[in-house]
Amino acid sequence: MNSPKSNEFYIGWKDGLPPRTRRLLILFITALFTFSLGITYLVVKNQKPFNNHQFELGNIQEFSGVLVYNPAPMLLTEGGIPETVSDELLLVGYGKRGALGFLQEIEEEHGQLRQRKITLRGTLIHGDGRAVLELTEKAKSLVEADEHEVFNQREISSPQPFQLEGEILDPKCYFGVMKPGEGKIHKSCAIRCISGGIPPVFRSKRSDGTFEYSLMKDTEGQDINQRILPYVAENIEISGQSQMVGDWNVLYVDMDKIRRI
Amino acid sequence: MGVSYQAILWNKSKKRYDLWMSLFIILVLAVFVLAQMTLHPSITIETLIIRATAFTAITLLHIILIIGPLCRLDSRFLPLLYNRRHLGVTMFLFALVHGLFCIIQFHTLGDTNPIASVFLSNQNYQEISEFPFQILGFLALVILLLMAATSHDFWLKNLTPRIWKGLHMAVYIAYALVVGHVALGTLQYESKPLYWVMLLGGFVVIAGLQIFTGLREVKRLRSTSEKTKDKFVKVCNFDDIEDSRAKIVTIGSENIAVFRYDGQISAVSNLCRHQLGPLGEGKIVDGCITCPWHGYQYFPHNGQSPPPFNEKLKTYEVNIRGNDVWVDPKPKPPGTFIQPAKLEGSAS
Ligand code: HEM
Ligand code: FES
Repeated sequence: MNSPKSNEFYIGWKDGLPPRTRRLLILFITALFTFSLGITYLVVKNQKPFNNHQFELGNIQEFSGVLVYNPAPMLLTEGGIPETVSDELLLVGYGKRGALGFLQEIEEEHGQLRQRKITLRGTLIHGDGRAVLELTEKAKSLVEADEHEVFNQREISSPQPFQLEGEILDPKCYFGVMKPGEGKIHKSCAIRCISGGIPPVFRSKRSDGTFEYSLMKDTEGQDINQRILPYVAENIEISGQSQMVGDWNVLYVDMDKIRRI
Repeated sequence: MGVSYQAILWNKSKKRYDLWMSLFIILVLAVFVLAQMTLHPSITIETLIIRATAFTAITLLHIILIIGPLCRLDSRFLPLLYNRRHLGVTMFLFALVHGLFCIIQFHTLGDTNPIASVFLSNQNYQEISEFPFQILGFLALVILLLMAATSHDFWLKNLTPRIWKGLHMAVYIAYALVVGHVALGTLQYESKPLYWVMLLGGFVVIAGLQIFTGLREVKRLRSTSEKTKDKFVKVCNFDDIEDSRAKIVTIGSENIAVFRYDGQISAVSNLCRHQLGPLGEGKIVDGCITCPWHGYQYFPHNGQSPPPFNEKLKTYEVNIRGNDVWVDPKPKPPGTFIQPAKLEGSAS
């Protein structure tokens, strides 16, 4: 017959816990609490550590420099940013948007800004030698612009063939806005950002274990944001021609030769 | 008895239940947040919220899913079942905050509608390791939303217990989706095998307990159609049933609880009208069959709840011949009075 293990019978709306029921539940709840809190600690303890990149949220700063659009929108500053990172500020928009749309709006109002010395307001994002400026105030990010064109002297190396293994990142999240801003759990977000115009960055490992970051274009020097979306945040191998433009390595990627690893 | 019968209202047990539940959640959150801030101080507040709520939700989900089989193993666990619905709704709220924060963090302020983006951003369905895991979480959240929204007894009544119960069995689908969500998401990013041990360990415990108790149930419910005479089927010996308790028998498709009390026998449907709880595992208290799950009550002789309640169970004709208990498996309409069968020789 179906005799319940204990002859005690608990009626929730009626009475308190019968003694043997109470004893078992105290034991169970103690074990459950101890076990769960232990698991909680282990889950956090074993988590992959985050990088130390920074997003200076809430701290809007002004930066002056020469605006260029190639290979991606950048402000070539003469310092004024943390010493450990490049003076070439990669520009990105507010949210998951590239800077281009906002810069075009600004140019509609103030005339052409290319190759001119300008001052922009925004939020600094920086880490691992690279700096990014978010145009937090969108089309209102321009503070002032010089009237004369400046010819900047970025060093440009001659193109060389390359083949690299690594991951396509969105530099805005990766260099500070999100923890983590890479890999599988961040994949959808990186796709959204790159689709929204943020320049894709390729991260590859050097032989000494440090990372190299490169901007990506197609073999014609055109943007490839939409075409590389299926490969974002995956481990891939790419090849083509590469060239140093100022502080940034630029990869002219042969789209037909992208390979998942 | 009728006066103290208040299954739906707030009572001390429910308050005590919620108190322990809140304490548990606060402690888990405290350990999680403190450990993150000391071990990973560069974590952002968004990631902290996303992970803390996800971890709390999946922990509660595991607890919810082991309560059922634990109660079948030992009836002393039944107080954990009493207010499990609050555990369920709370789990949903944590999952909701997690899901909403993920959608805001990873999909808003872009070039696509955020909900559409959950489905369209990652489209790599070919490789398991790259599978769009967020979709699995989204579907789980939809199921949990439906369950939480219909958790009130109002819906239980309106949908009928059978449909309601069917809907709430979808928690197993939600659980499977969440396991897939974590296995194809976070576990493709994290490198420590410990996480696989935890996720699969949880699965093994839940599936193991369910299968083990399920098999026991099947064995016990196996049809007892041995001897038939007229329309009656012999179910057991009078002495096989403890006083104030029942034997559960399945005859054809009928699931019947045969109660013994005051030297007599009555038989009613084994399925509680509330959430189909096993009445035959209940007890006669104050002259009423009392459900082991939430304490609904019914008179054994007519299957009716005492006033002011109006739940009614199907009843069955019973008969005692010699020392044997016989039941007619053809049910009478719910609430039909049936003369209890008395043991010959006992005072009438
Ligand atoms: C709209 C629905 C959902 C979306 C968009 C979503 C998205 C995500 C994302 C992006 C992550 C990785 C976050 C990170 O670690 O940085 C994640 C992890 C996780 N999700 Fe969900 N999720 C959803 C629903 C759910 C539901 C219903 C549950 C059920 C409990 C759940 C449980 C988890 C767990 C346990 C993790 C692993 C812990 C973590 O890494 O945070 N998720 N989810
Ligand atoms: S009282 Fe809830 S199922 Fe019987």
